Amino acid sequence: MKRAGLGGLLIAVPLALALLGPLFVPEEQTRGAPFMPQGLLGTDFVGRDTWYQVLAGGQTVVLVALLATAFSYVVGVPYGVVAATARLRLVDEALMRPLDVLLAVPSLLVLILVAAIAGQGLLVLVGVVTLVNFPDVARLSRAAALEISGRPALEAMRLQGESWWQTSIVYTGRSMLRTLAADLGVRLTAALYLVASASFLGVGVPPGAADWAVMVDRNRGGLFLQPWAVVVPALLIISLSIGLNLVFDRALRKVRT
Amino acid sequence: MSLASYTARRAALGLVQVLAVVTLVFLLVEALPGDAAVALAGDNPDPARITQIRAAMGLDRPVSERFLEWLTGLPQLDFGVSLVSGRPVTDFLSAGIGPTVVLAVLTLVLLVPISVLVGVLAALREGSLLDRTLTSISVALHSIPEFALAVVLIAVFGVQLAWLPPTAVGADLLVQPAVLVLPLVVLLARPICSISRLVRAGMVDALASDYVRHARRLGLGETRVRFAHALPNALAPAVQQVARTTDWLLGGVIVVEAVFVIPGLGTVLVDAVAGRDLPVVQGLAVVFAVTTVAVNLVADLVAFRLAPRAEVVA
Repeated sequence: MKRAGLGGLLIAVPLALALLGPLFVPEEQTRGAPFMPQGLLGTDFVGRDTWYQVLAGGQTVVLVALLATAFSYVVGVPYGVVAATARLRLVDEALMRPLDVLLAVPSLLVLILVAAIAGQGLLVLVGVVTLVNFPDVARLSRAAALEISGRPALEAMRLQGESWWQTSIVYTGRSMLRTLAADLGVRLTAALYLVASASFLGVGVPPGAADWAVMVDRNRGGLFLQPWAVVVPALLIISLSIGLNLVFDRALRKVRT
Repeated sequence: MSLASYTARRAALGLVQVLAVVTLVFLLVEALPGDAAVALAGDNPDPARITQIRAAMGLDRPVSERFLEWLTGLPQLDFGVSLVSGRPVTDFLSAGIGPTVVLAVLTLVLLVPISVLVGVLAALREGSLLDRTLTSISVALHSIPEFALAVVLIAVFGVQLAWLPPTAVGADLLVQPAVLVLPLVVLLARPICSISRLVRAGMVDALASDYVRHARRLGLGETRVRFAHALPNALAPAVQQVARTTDWLLGGVIVVEAVFVIPGLGTVLVDAVAGRDLPVVQGLAVVFAVTTVAVNLVADLVAFRLAPRAEVVA
């Protein structure tokens, strides 16, 4: 219980900052000299107020991670179910083998290459993170659907002449829900990890953007002068990641027992 | 299935995988917008000059022809020539591979004993305070982005306390081991958590299994039961994860290299993509694909040897 409480707190702080923060950023901002101790947290590498950057910078990280996770499920689950329920073994192989290839390429290499082809933009980032994440979802859904399709209950339903909709979508879908929900935390933290690392490497978000990961990268030059500009966004990302892990691990335990 | 026929089957599969990855990357790189000829021609390009450069580099020939030529060069370690500097791609690879291998080997040397020890300790005292503490820490630290952990560690130990050098700029990795401490800590953080959790889970299962109960009933000593019977079975799932980590260390530590300014393969990759140096990117992709497949092959064989069961074979 204590762990979940701590985890909740660790999520709540960065999440509140990310979602509500942009509301508190003033329209007009004065620019000072870079890395000066003005304001709450000093100024950043181009002289903007770090505190306002922190308030505005969480949105992209959180939203991209959430969207990419959602898309991985939207693509991955039907993909895996189709592979598992296909009558022809060939269809299954044809769907799953390419994923092995995708998994054999380091995810950051895929990310850098695809971003170089498709250009900058948050949607590109969402797309790439989805591409990297969905093979795992597809594999998991396939394994879950395979196990369920062998159950006597489903066989009985088929013998009774239930429709494809009833057997494949309603029954199989509902039974898979647990496995997929248990996996959600892992996927979400993986997406957060990729989004943050990509932004840090300058993929997807423009270099001057207010984004926690970009801030960490850009303000590194001033680490000796104004460490807060680097440490605060880094700590927020760490806190979000630890919190997600703790809360979902707790939830996972509940599902299993 | 015997070990030999299993090896042969997995090796054949691995070869197909390498070919597929290499082809995929060639196509992806071909799809990169902008071309090196335009980049080389300078700020105010003259169309005739671009055509000339393109012809000199062979970029005007059909894709399939260039692909075949490139593919046949690979077995002789001929990866082509860099478009930007004209040096052979092998030069770039051999320059970057040193620091990457140093980091990877040191990380693995520390990683395996530490994570097995942590996992076994937690499993032997299952449910105790020690177990709960270790598990909580490993759950929490599991997926922190390296760059975030790295800059916080640099800020604390490199800048505030000034105990360790903040980056490895210009340092010889092996001559000044101090520069390696922070990168190694960052590289170890995630794998230690995931592997020790797997070892713990495997060990808990193994200790509760029938064969361990049987071994105890036969009167074998507790040490022998734990380390000669339970541990090898507990390690089989962890071996796969060690393989994934090795793979990641050899190809994916771009972020850590960028933060600590270590001139390894990751840095070479970022520079090559930024400079549209396609042959270098392709060469790196080949290296990454081969290491991935080779590492997984070795891991499967080790897992097969440790616990030759049906589900490992399948």
